[in-house]
Amino acid sequence: MYIEEENPSDVRTADLIVGIPSYNEAELISFPTQIASEGLIKYFGDKNSVIINCDNNSPDGTREAFMNTSTEVPKIYLSTPRGVKGKGNNFKNLFQKSCDLGAEAIIVLDADLKSATPRWIKNLGQPLFEGFGFVAPLYVRHKFDGTITNNIAYPITRSIYGRRVRQPIGGDFGFCGKLAEIYLRQENWTPAVAQFGIDIWMTTMAMCHDIPICQSFMGRPKIHKPKDPGESLGPMFLQVVGTIFDMMTKEVRFWKDVRWSKPTAIFGFGLGEIEMPPPVDVKVERLYDKFQAGFAKHDDLWKGILSTNVYKKVSEVRTLGFADFEFPGNLWADILVDFAVAYKKGAYDKERIMECLIPLYYGRTGSFVIELEPMTIQQAEEVIEDQCIVFERSKPGLLTKWFDTK
Amino acid sequence: MKKILIVDDEEVIRMLYSEELEDEGYNVITTGTGHGLVELVERERPHLVILDIKMAEHDGLDLLQEIRKQFYNIPVILCSAYSSFKGDLKSVAADYYVVKSADLSDLKQKIKMALEGHIPFQSTQE
Repeated sequence: MYIEEENPSDVRTADLIVGIPSYNEAELISFPTQIASEGLIKYFGDKNSVIINCDNNSPDGTREAFMNTSTEVPKIYLSTPRGVKGKGNNFKNLFQKSCDLGAEAIIVLDADLKSATPRWIKNLGQPLFEGFGFVAPLYVRHKFDGTITNNIAYPITRSIYGRRVRQPIGGDFGFCGKLAEIYLRQENWTPAVAQFGIDIWMTTMAMCHDIPICQSFMGRPKIHKPKDPGESLGPMFLQVVGTIFDMMTKEVRFWKDVRWSKPTAIFGFGLGEIEMPPPVDVKVERLYDKFQAGFAKHDDLWKGILSTNVYKKVSEVRTLGFADFEFPGNLWADILVDFAVAYKKGAYDKERIMECLIPLYYGRTGSFVIELEPMTIQQAEEVIEDQCIVFERSKPGLLTKWFDTK
Repeated sequence: MKKILIVDDEEVIRMLYSEELEDEGYNVITTGTGHGLVELVERERPHLVILDIKMAEHDGLDLLQEIRKQFYNIPVILCSAYSSFKGDLKSVAADYYVVKSADLSDLKQKIKMALEGHIPFQSTQE
Protein backbone atom coordinates (compact mmCIF):
# COMPACT_ATOMS: atom_id res chain seq x y z
CA MET A 1 0.00 0.00 0.00
CA TYR A 2 2.82 2.42 0.77
CA ILE A 3 2.84 5.18 -1.73
CA GLU A 4 5.57 7.47 -0.52
CA GLU A 5 9.01 6.19 0.33
CA GLU A 6 12.19 8.00 1.24
CA ASN A 7 15.17 5.65 1.36
CA PRO A 8 18.28 7.82 1.17
CA SER A 9 20.67 4.96 1.99
CA ASP A 10 19.08 2.78 -0.70
CA VAL A 11 18.50 -0.07 1.77
CA ARG A 12 17.48 -3.20 -0.16
CA THR A 13 17.89 -5.96 2.40
CA ALA A 14 17.73 -6.10 6.20
CA ASP A 15 18.02 -8.77 8.88
CA LEU A 16 16.44 -6.67 11.57
CA ILE A 17 13.98 -3.78 11.39
CA VAL A 18 12.76 -1.36 14.02
CA GLY A 19 9.41 0.04 12.90
CA ILE A 20 7.90 3.19 14.39
CA PRO A 21 4.28 3.78 13.37
CA SER A 22 3.11 7.37 13.72
CA TYR A 23 0.59 10.07 13.05
CA ASN A 24 1.43 13.62 14.09
CA GLU A 25 4.32 12.68 16.37
CA ALA A 26 6.84 15.31 15.23
CA GLU A 27 7.46 16.38 18.79
CA LEU A 28 8.27 12.92 20.17
CA ILE A 29 9.47 10.65 17.37
CA SER A 30 13.16 11.58 17.59
CA PHE A 31 13.54 9.93 20.97
CA PRO A 32 12.44 6.36 20.04
CA THR A 33 14.37 6.75 16.77
CA GLN A 34 17.61 7.51 18.62
CA ILE A 35 16.99 4.72 21.11
CA ALA A 36 16.37 2.28 18.27
CA SER A 37 19.66 3.23 16.62
CA GLU A 38 21.62 2.94 19.87
CA GLY A 39 20.06 -0.42 20.70
CA LEU A 40 20.66 -1.84 17.23
CA ILE A 41 24.33 -0.76 17.24
CA LYS A 42 24.96 -1.91 20.80
CA TYR A 43 23.20 -5.29 20.75
CA PHE A 44 22.86 -6.24 17.10
CA GLY A 45 26.01 -4.77 15.59
CA ASP A 46 26.47 -7.90 13.47
CA LYS A 47 23.04 -7.58 11.88
CA ASN A 48 22.06 -5.59 8.84
CA SER A 49 19.50 -3.21 10.38
CA VAL A 50 17.21 -0.39 9.37
CA ILE A 51 14.76 1.91 11.16
CA ILE A 52 11.45 2.49 9.38
CA ASN A 53 8.94 5.20 10.19
CA CYS A 54 5.50 4.13 8.96
CA ASP A 55 3.46 7.30 8.84
CA ASN A 56 0.14 8.65 7.57
CA ASN A 57 1.48 11.71 5.82
CA SER A 58 1.41 13.59 9.11
CA PRO A 59 0.94 17.31 8.49
CA ASP A 60 2.91 18.27 11.62
CA GLY A 61 6.37 17.46 10.20
CA THR A 62 6.78 13.93 11.60
CA ARG A 63 8.61 12.91 8.43
CA GLU A 64 11.20 15.69 8.77
CA ALA A 65 11.61 15.09 12.51
CA PHE A 66 12.29 11.41 11.84
CA MET A 67 14.58 11.81 8.85
CA ASN A 68 16.55 14.64 10.52
CA THR A 69 17.23 12.58 13.64
CA SER A 70 20.91 11.70 13.62
CA THR A 71 21.39 7.91 13.70
CA GLU A 72 24.14 5.45 12.83
CA VAL A 73 21.56 3.02 11.46
CA PRO A 74 20.00 3.85 8.06
CA LYS A 75 16.40 5.03 7.97
CA ILE A 76 13.44 4.64 5.64
CA TYR A 77 10.31 6.76 5.68
CA LEU A 78 7.08 5.20 4.40
CA SER A 79 3.66 6.72 4.18
CA THR A 80 0.17 5.63 3.30
CA PRO A 81 -1.47 7.47 0.42
CA ARG A 82 -2.68 10.95 1.24
CA GLY A 83 -5.91 10.79 3.23
CA VAL A 84 -5.39 7.18 4.37
CA LYS A 85 -4.87 7.08 8.12
CA GLY A 86 -4.74 4.36 10.73
CA LYS A 87 -2.14 2.56 12.81
CA GLY A 88 -3.07 -0.75 11.18
CA ASN A 89 -2.46 0.69 7.73
CA ASN A 90 0.98 1.75 8.90
CA PHE A 91 1.64 -1.79 10.08
CA LYS A 92 0.49 -3.19 6.75
CA ASN A 93 3.17 -1.08 5.11
CA LEU A 94 5.68 -2.32 7.65
CA PHE A 95 4.75 -5.96 6.98
CA GLN A 96 5.07 -5.43 3.23
CA LYS A 97 8.43 -3.68 3.57
CA SER A 98 9.69 -6.36 5.97
CA CYS A 99 8.88 -9.03 3.40
CA ASP A 100 10.45 -6.97 0.60
CA LEU A 101 13.67 -6.55 2.62
CA GLY A 102 13.69 -10.21 3.71
CA ALA A 103 13.84 -9.33 7.41
CA GLU A 104 14.23 -12.09 9.98
CA ALA A 105 13.01 -10.00 12.86
CA ILE A 106 10.95 -6.84 13.34
CA ILE A 107 10.69 -4.73 16.47
CA VAL A 108 8.03 -2.05 16.86
CA LEU A 109 8.17 0.94 19.19
CA ASP A 110 5.38 3.44 19.77
CA ALA A 111 6.27 6.89 18.46
CA ASP A 112 5.12 8.63 21.67
CA LEU A 113 7.29 6.44 23.89
CA LYS A 114 9.31 8.45 26.39
CA SER A 115 10.89 5.72 28.53
CA ALA A 116 12.45 3.23 26.11
CA THR A 117 16.11 2.32 26.54
CA PRO A 118 18.51 0.55 24.14
CA ARG A 119 17.91 -2.51 26.30
CA TRP A 120 14.31 -2.59 25.05
CA ILE A 121 15.64 -3.24 21.56
CA LYS A 122 17.70 -6.14 22.86
CA ASN A 123 14.86 -7.63 24.88
CA LEU A 124 12.27 -7.33 22.14
CA GLY A 125 14.69 -8.55 19.46
CA GLN A 126 16.89 -11.26 20.94
CA PRO A 127 14.11 -13.82 21.58
CA LEU A 128 13.31 -13.62 17.85
CA PHE A 129 16.77 -15.04 17.11
CA GLU A 130 16.29 -17.76 19.77
CA GLY A 131 13.22 -19.53 18.44
CA PHE A 132 10.40 -17.23 19.48
CA GLY A 133 8.11 -15.71 16.87
CA PHE A 134 6.28 -13.06 18.85
CA VAL A 135 7.54 -10.99 21.78
CA ALA A 136 5.21 -8.95 23.96
CA PRO A 137 6.53 -6.40 26.44
CA LEU A 138 6.33 -6.89 30.18
CA TYR A 139 6.59 -3.60 31.96
CA VAL A 140 5.15 -1.92 35.00
CA ARG A 141 2.40 0.53 34.17
CA HIS A 142 0.55 2.80 36.51
CA LYS A 143 -2.51 1.03 37.90
CA PHE A 144 -4.80 3.52 36.13
CA ASP A 145 -2.92 3.47 32.83
CA GLY A 146 -4.16 0.95 30.25
CA THR A 147 -7.71 0.48 31.48
CA ILE A 148 -8.78 -1.20 28.23
CA THR A 149 -5.87 -3.60 28.69
CA ASN A 150 -6.67 -4.32 32.33
CA ASN A 151 -10.44 -4.65 32.05
CA ILE A 152 -10.89 -6.10 28.59
CA ALA A 153 -7.92 -7.01 26.41
CA TYR A 154 -5.86 -8.95 28.97
CA PRO A 155 -8.66 -10.86 30.76
CA ILE A 156 -10.45 -11.73 27.51
CA THR A 157 -7.40 -12.90 25.55
CA ARG A 158 -6.22 -14.86 28.56
CA SER A 159 -9.54 -16.57 29.19
CA ILE A 160 -10.44 -17.14 25.53
CA TYR A 161 -7.10 -18.20 24.05
CA GLY A 162 -5.49 -19.52 27.23
CA ARG A 163 -2.29 -17.48 26.87
CA ARG A 164 -1.20 -15.02 29.53
CA VAL A 165 0.15 -12.03 27.67
CA ARG A 166 -0.09 -9.16 30.13
CA GLN A 167 0.22 -6.41 27.52
CA PRO A 168 -1.61 -7.69 24.45
CA ILE A 169 -2.04 -4.13 23.15
CA GLY A 170 1.17 -2.74 24.58
CA GLY A 171 2.19 -1.12 21.31
CA ASP A 172 5.79 -2.28 21.60
CA PHE A 173 6.33 -5.75 20.12
CA GLY A 174 8.75 -8.01 18.36
CA PHE A 175 7.78 -10.50 15.66
CA CYS A 176 9.59 -12.72 13.20
CA GLY A 177 9.64 -12.32 9.43
CA LYS A 178 7.52 -15.46 9.00
CA LEU A 179 4.79 -13.89 11.13
CA ALA A 180 4.97 -10.69 9.07
CA GLU A 181 4.19 -12.85 6.01
CA ILE A 182 1.28 -14.48 7.84
CA TYR A 183 -0.08 -11.05 8.81
CA LEU A 184 0.23 -9.80 5.27
CA ARG A 185 -1.57 -12.85 3.83
CA GLN A 186 -4.65 -12.40 6.00
CA GLU A 187 -7.82 -11.33 4.29
CA ASN A 188 -9.67 -10.27 7.43
CA TRP A 189 -8.36 -6.71 7.46
CA THR A 190 -11.44 -4.99 8.83
CA PRO A 191 -11.60 -1.18 9.10
CA ALA A 192 -10.96 -1.61 12.85
CA VAL A 193 -7.79 -3.66 12.24
CA ALA A 194 -6.60 -0.93 9.90
CA GLN A 195 -6.84 1.45 12.86
CA PHE A 196 -6.22 0.76 16.58
CA GLY A 197 -7.47 -2.83 16.37
CA ILE A 198 -4.10 -3.83 14.91
CA ASP A 199 -2.31 -4.54 18.22
CA ILE A 200 -4.85 -7.02 19.57
CA TRP A 201 -5.22 -8.53 16.09
CA MET A 202 -1.47 -9.20 15.89
CA THR A 203 -1.34 -10.73 19.36
CA THR A 204 -4.39 -12.90 18.76
CA MET A 205 -3.12 -14.05 15.36
CA ALA A 206 0.17 -15.10 16.96
CA MET A 207 -1.75 -17.07 19.62
CA CYS A 208 -3.94 -18.84 17.08
CA HIS A 209 -1.18 -19.66 14.59
CA ASP A 210 0.92 -21.66 17.04
CA ILE A 211 3.64 -19.04 17.03
CA PRO A 212 6.05 -19.41 20.00
CA ILE A 213 5.30 -16.43 22.21
CA CYS A 214 7.30 -14.88 25.01
CA GLN A 215 7.01 -11.86 27.23
CA SER A 216 10.11 -9.79 27.74
CA PHE A 217 10.98 -7.60 30.70
CA MET A 218 11.62 -4.04 29.65
CA GLY A 219 13.02 -2.96 33.02
CA ARG A 220 11.53 0.52 32.85
CA PRO A 221 7.84 1.41 32.98
CA LYS A 222 6.03 2.44 29.83
CA ILE A 223 5.85 6.20 29.88
CA HIS A 224 3.95 7.74 27.01
CA LYS A 225 1.09 10.16 26.50
CA PRO A 226 -1.36 8.73 29.05
CA LYS A 227 -5.07 9.21 28.49
CA ASP A 228 -7.86 9.73 31.00
CA PRO A 229 -10.29 6.90 30.07
CA GLY A 230 -13.28 9.19 30.68
CA GLU A 231 -11.94 11.85 28.38
CA SER A 232 -10.39 10.23 25.35
CA LEU A 233 -11.76 6.75 24.79
CA GLY A 234 -13.77 7.02 21.61
CA PRO A 235 -12.70 5.20 18.48
CA MET A 236 -9.88 3.27 20.11
CA PHE A 237 -12.30 1.42 22.36
CA LEU A 238 -14.60 0.54 19.47
CA GLN A 239 -11.72 -0.64 17.30
CA VAL A 240 -9.99 -2.73 19.97
CA VAL A 241 -13.11 -4.37 21.39
CA GLY A 242 -14.68 -4.79 17.96
CA THR A 243 -11.53 -6.60 16.81
CA ILE A 244 -11.58 -8.82 19.90
CA PHE A 245 -15.18 -9.83 19.14
CA ASP A 246 -14.43 -10.31 15.42
CA MET A 247 -11.47 -12.53 16.24
CA MET A 248 -13.55 -14.60 18.66
CA THR A 249 -15.93 -15.37 15.81
CA LYS A 250 -13.14 -16.16 13.37
CA GLU A 251 -11.02 -18.29 15.70
CA VAL A 252 -13.72 -20.21 17.56
CA ARG A 253 -12.39 -23.57 16.36
CA PHE A 254 -9.19 -22.83 18.26
CA TRP A 255 -10.52 -21.34 21.47
CA LYS A 256 -13.53 -23.56 22.10
CA ASP A 257 -11.18 -26.30 23.33
CA VAL A 258 -9.00 -24.05 25.49
CA ARG A 259 -9.32 -24.71 29.22
CA TRP A 260 -7.91 -22.34 31.82
CA SER A 261 -4.72 -20.48 30.93
CA LYS A 262 -0.99 -21.06 30.86
CA PRO A 263 1.90 -18.73 31.66
CA THR A 264 4.00 -17.52 28.77
CA ALA A 265 7.77 -17.88 28.49
CA ILE A 266 9.66 -14.99 30.06
CA PHE A 267 12.80 -13.33 28.71
CA GLY A 268 15.11 -10.79 30.31
CA PHE A 269 15.28 -11.41 34.03
CA GLY A 270 17.85 -9.70 36.14
CA LEU A 271 17.25 -6.09 35.21
CA GLY A 272 17.59 -4.98 38.79
CA GLU A 273 15.29 -2.57 40.62
CA ILE A 274 11.98 -1.95 38.91
CA GLU A 275 11.28 1.73 38.37
CA MET A 276 7.78 2.94 39.22
CA PRO A 277 5.69 4.74 36.58
CA PRO A 278 4.38 8.29 36.99
CA PRO A 279 0.82 8.79 38.27
CA VAL A 280 -2.17 8.92 35.95
CA ASP A 281 -5.05 11.22 36.81
CA VAL A 282 -8.54 9.74 36.36
CA LYS A 283 -11.73 11.71 37.04
CA VAL A 284 -13.90 9.02 38.62
CA GLU A 285 -17.01 11.19 39.02
CA ARG A 286 -17.09 11.68 35.28
CA LEU A 287 -16.94 7.92 34.70
CA TYR A 288 -19.78 7.42 37.18
CA ASP A 289 -21.89 10.12 35.51
CA LYS A 290 -21.29 8.64 32.05
CA PHE A 291 -22.33 5.21 33.31
CA GLN A 292 -25.55 6.62 34.76
CA ALA A 293 -26.24 8.59 31.57
CA GLY A 294 -26.04 5.32 29.62
CA PHE A 295 -29.40 4.20 30.98
CA ALA A 296 -31.23 7.05 29.30
CA LYS A 297 -29.64 6.33 25.95
CA HIS A 298 -29.16 2.55 25.83
CA ASP A 299 -31.56 0.94 28.28
CA ASP A 300 -33.68 -0.76 25.61
CA LEU A 301 -30.68 -2.23 23.85
CA TRP A 302 -29.15 -3.37 27.13
CA LYS A 303 -32.39 -5.22 27.90
CA GLY A 304 -32.12 -6.95 24.54
CA ILE A 305 -28.43 -7.85 24.73
CA LEU A 306 -28.01 -8.77 28.39
CA SER A 307 -29.40 -11.91 30.00
CA THR A 308 -32.27 -11.21 32.35
CA ASN A 309 -30.22 -11.79 35.50
CA VAL A 310 -27.30 -9.72 34.22
CA TYR A 311 -29.57 -6.81 33.29
CA LYS A 312 -31.11 -7.04 36.76
CA LYS A 313 -27.68 -6.77 38.39
CA VAL A 314 -26.75 -3.80 36.22
CA SER A 315 -29.99 -2.12 37.31
CA GLU A 316 -29.02 -2.76 40.92
CA VAL A 317 -25.63 -1.13 40.38
CA ARG A 318 -27.45 1.88 38.94
CA THR A 319 -29.13 2.49 42.30
CA LEU A 320 -25.78 2.88 44.09
CA GLY A 321 -24.73 6.44 44.82
CA PHE A 322 -21.25 7.67 44.01
CA ALA A 323 -20.10 7.32 47.63
CA ASP A 324 -20.71 3.57 47.69
CA PHE A 325 -20.44 2.81 44.00
CA GLU A 326 -19.26 -0.66 43.06
CA PHE A 327 -19.43 -2.48 39.74
CA PRO A 328 -18.32 -6.06 40.48
CA GLY A 329 -15.76 -7.85 38.32
CA ASN A 330 -17.96 -10.94 37.88
CA LEU A 331 -20.79 -8.78 36.58
CA TRP A 332 -18.38 -7.21 34.11
CA ALA A 333 -17.31 -10.66 32.90
CA ASP A 334 -20.98 -11.68 32.44
CA ILE A 335 -21.66 -8.46 30.51
CA LEU A 336 -18.78 -9.09 28.12
CA VAL A 337 -19.99 -12.65 27.55
CA ASP A 338 -23.46 -11.37 26.61
CA PHE A 339 -22.04 -8.65 24.36
CA ALA A 340 -19.66 -11.04 22.60
CA VAL A 341 -22.55 -13.43 21.94
CA ALA A 342 -24.84 -10.62 20.72
CA TYR A 343 -22.06 -9.36 18.44
CA LYS A 344 -21.52 -12.84 17.00
CA LYS A 345 -25.23 -13.54 16.49
CA GLY A 346 -25.73 -10.21 14.74
CA ALA A 347 -29.17 -9.58 16.21
CA TYR A 348 -28.32 -5.88 16.38
CA ASP A 349 -26.15 -3.53 14.40
CA LYS A 350 -22.54 -4.13 15.47
CA GLU A 351 -21.70 -0.47 15.84
CA ARG A 352 -24.71 0.06 18.10
CA ILE A 353 -23.69 -2.94 20.21
CA MET A 354 -20.20 -1.53 20.66
CA GLU A 355 -21.42 1.98 21.40
CA CYS A 356 -23.81 0.82 24.10
CA LEU A 357 -21.02 -1.16 25.78
CA ILE A 358 -19.08 2.05 26.43
CA PRO A 359 -21.15 3.37 29.39
CA LEU A 360 -20.94 -0.04 31.06
CA TYR A 361 -17.17 0.04 30.55
CA TYR A 362 -17.13 3.48 32.18
CA GLY A 363 -19.03 2.03 35.14
CA ARG A 364 -16.61 -0.86 35.55
CA THR A 365 -13.58 1.39 35.09
CA GLY A 366 -14.87 3.88 37.67
CA SER A 367 -15.41 1.11 40.18
CA PHE A 368 -11.98 -0.36 39.35
CA VAL A 369 -10.30 3.00 40.00
CA ILE A 370 -12.13 3.42 43.31
CA GLU A 371 -11.15 -0.10 44.40
CA LEU A 372 -7.50 0.33 43.41
CA GLU A 373 -7.06 3.85 44.74
CA PRO A 374 -5.53 2.83 48.12
CA MET A 375 -3.51 -0.02 46.64
CA THR A 376 0.08 -0.35 45.55
CA ILE A 377 0.76 -1.33 41.94
CA GLN A 378 1.49 -4.89 43.14
CA GLN A 379 -1.81 -5.12 45.01
CA ALA A 380 -3.58 -3.76 41.94
CA GLU A 381 -1.96 -6.53 39.87
CA GLU A 382 -3.45 -9.08 42.26
CA VAL A 383 -6.91 -7.61 41.71
CA ILE A 384 -6.39 -7.86 37.95
CA GLU A 385 -5.20 -11.46 38.27
CA ASP A 386 -8.26 -12.33 40.37
CA GLN A 387 -10.47 -10.72 37.73
CA CYS A 388 -8.82 -12.92 35.11
CA ILE A 389 -9.74 -16.03 37.10
CA VAL A 390 -13.33 -14.76 37.19
CA PHE A 391 -13.22 -14.44 33.38
CA GLU A 392 -11.76 -17.92 33.02
CA ARG A 393 -14.53 -19.31 35.20
CA SER A 394 -17.13 -17.65 32.98
CA LYS A 395 -15.86 -19.56 29.92
CA PRO A 396 -18.25 -22.57 30.16
CA GLY A 397 -21.16 -20.10 30.29
CA LEU A 398 -19.78 -18.32 27.24
CA LEU A 399 -19.51 -21.61 25.32
CA THR A 400 -23.09 -22.54 26.16
CA LYS A 401 -24.40 -19.17 24.99
CA TRP A 402 -22.10 -19.03 21.97
CA PHE A 403 -23.36 -22.33 20.54
CA ASP A 404 -26.97 -21.82 21.59
CA THR A 405 -28.81 -21.47 18.31
CA LYS A 406 -31.89 -19.83 19.85
CA MET B 1 -2.55 -41.25 38.50
CA LYS B 2 -1.12 -37.72 38.35
CA LYS B 3 2.26 -37.29 39.99
CA ILE B 4 2.92 -34.15 42.05
CA LEU B 5 6.35 -33.04 43.27
CA ILE B 6 6.41 -30.90 46.43
CA VAL B 7 9.52 -28.78 47.01
CA ASP B 8 9.53 -27.31 50.51
CA ASP B 9 12.17 -27.13 53.22
CA GLU B 10 9.64 -27.53 56.04
CA GLU B 11 9.03 -31.17 56.80
CA VAL B 12 5.66 -30.47 58.44
CA ILE B 13 4.40 -28.84 55.26
CA ARG B 14 5.64 -31.71 53.11
CA MET B 15 3.88 -34.21 55.36
CA LEU B 16 0.63 -32.25 55.52
CA TYR B 17 0.49 -31.64 51.78
CA SER B 18 1.43 -35.25 50.97
CA GLU B 19 -1.30 -36.64 53.18
CA GLU B 20 -3.98 -34.28 51.88
CA LEU B 21 -3.07 -34.65 48.22
CA GLU B 22 -2.74 -38.43 48.40
CA ASP B 23 -6.26 -38.47 49.83
CA GLU B 24 -7.29 -36.59 46.68
CA GLY B 25 -5.86 -39.43 44.58
CA TYR B 26 -2.52 -37.92 43.57
CA ASN B 27 0.82 -39.71 43.65
CA VAL B 28 3.01 -37.38 45.73
CA ILE B 29 6.78 -37.20 45.90
CA THR B 30 8.67 -34.63 47.97
CA THR B 31 12.04 -33.00 48.39
CA GLY B 32 13.26 -30.65 51.10
CA THR B 33 15.90 -28.95 48.99
CA GLY B 34 16.40 -27.25 45.67
CA HIS B 35 19.72 -29.09 45.17
CA GLY B 36 19.46 -31.22 42.07
CA LEU B 37 15.87 -30.16 41.47
CA VAL B 38 16.14 -30.05 37.69
CA GLU B 39 17.63 -33.55 37.67
CA LEU B 40 14.85 -34.76 39.96
CA VAL B 41 12.21 -33.32 37.62
CA GLU B 42 14.01 -34.92 34.67
CA ARG B 43 14.04 -38.29 36.41
CA GLU B 44 10.55 -38.28 37.93
CA ARG B 45 8.69 -36.30 35.24
CA PRO B 46 5.96 -35.04 37.59
CA HIS B 47 2.73 -33.73 36.12
CA LEU B 48 2.94 -30.71 38.43
CA VAL B 49 5.40 -29.06 40.84
CA ILE B 50 4.46 -27.25 44.05
CA LEU B 51 7.34 -24.94 44.88
CA ASP B 52 8.05 -23.03 48.08
CA ILE B 53 9.71 -19.63 47.58
CA LYS B 54 11.58 -18.77 50.75
CA MET B 55 13.70 -21.79 51.56
CA ALA B 56 16.80 -21.84 53.75
CA GLU B 57 19.26 -22.54 50.94
CA HIS B 58 17.34 -21.65 47.81
CA ASP B 59 15.14 -18.99 46.31
CA GLY B 60 12.09 -20.65 44.81
CA LEU B 61 11.77 -17.94 42.15
CA ASP B 62 15.27 -18.77 40.87
CA LEU B 63 14.42 -22.47 40.92
CA LEU B 64 11.29 -21.67 38.92
CA GLN B 65 13.44 -20.13 36.20
CA GLU B 66 15.67 -23.21 36.19
CA ILE B 67 12.66 -25.49 35.78
CA ARG B 68 11.18 -23.26 33.06
CA LYS B 69 14.37 -23.34 31.03
CA GLN B 70 14.03 -27.08 30.49
CA PHE B 71 10.44 -28.06 31.19
CA TYR B 72 8.24 -25.32 29.90
CA ASN B 73 5.00 -27.23 29.93
CA ILE B 74 5.13 -28.65 33.46
CA PRO B 75 2.70 -26.63 35.58
CA VAL B 76 4.34 -25.00 38.59
CA ILE B 77 2.41 -23.61 41.56
CA LEU B 78 4.31 -21.25 43.82
CA CYS B 79 3.25 -21.85 47.40
CA SER B 80 4.55 -19.39 49.95
CA ALA B 81 3.75 -18.16 53.44
CA TYR B 82 4.24 -14.66 52.04
CA SER B 83 2.01 -12.90 49.53
CA SER B 84 4.61 -10.21 48.87
CA PHE B 85 6.46 -12.27 46.25
CA LYS B 86 3.42 -11.94 44.00
CA GLY B 87 4.79 -8.51 43.24
CA ASP B 88 8.04 -9.99 41.93
CA LEU B 89 7.78 -10.16 38.15
CA LYS B 90 9.63 -13.49 38.20
CA SER B 91 6.52 -15.10 39.68
CA VAL B 92 4.72 -14.45 36.36
CA ALA B 93 6.40 -17.60 35.04
CA ALA B 94 4.40 -19.76 37.47
CA ASP B 95 0.99 -21.15 36.63
CA TYR B 96 -0.47 -20.05 39.96
CA TYR B 97 0.57 -18.50 43.24
CA VAL B 98 -0.99 -19.75 46.47
CA VAL B 99 -0.47 -18.35 49.96
CA LYS B 100 0.08 -21.16 52.47
CA SER B 101 -2.85 -21.88 54.73
CA ALA B 102 -4.09 -24.71 56.95
CA ASP B 103 -7.06 -24.85 54.61
CA LEU B 104 -5.77 -26.41 51.40
CA SER B 105 -8.90 -25.81 49.34
CA ASP B 106 -7.33 -22.97 47.32
CA LEU B 107 -4.23 -25.07 46.60
CA LYS B 108 -6.34 -28.09 45.61
CA GLN B 109 -8.43 -25.94 43.30
CA LYS B 110 -5.36 -24.45 41.63
CA ILE B 111 -3.85 -27.93 41.21
CA LYS B 112 -7.03 -29.02 39.45
CA MET B 113 -7.01 -25.96 37.20
CA ALA B 114 -3.32 -26.38 36.36
CA LEU B 115 -3.74 -30.05 35.49
CA GLU B 116 -6.88 -29.44 33.45
CA GLY B 117 -5.34 -26.54 31.56
CA HIS B 118 -5.33 -27.17 27.82
CA ILE B 119 -4.38 -25.13 24.78
CA PRO B 120 -4.71 -26.77 21.35
CA PHE B 121 -1.57 -26.91 19.19
CA GLN B 122 0.57 -25.38 21.93
CA SER B 123 4.01 -24.90 20.48
CA THR B 124 6.62 -27.36 21.63
CA GLN B 125 9.25 -24.65 21.57
CA GLU B 126 7.90 -23.02 24.72
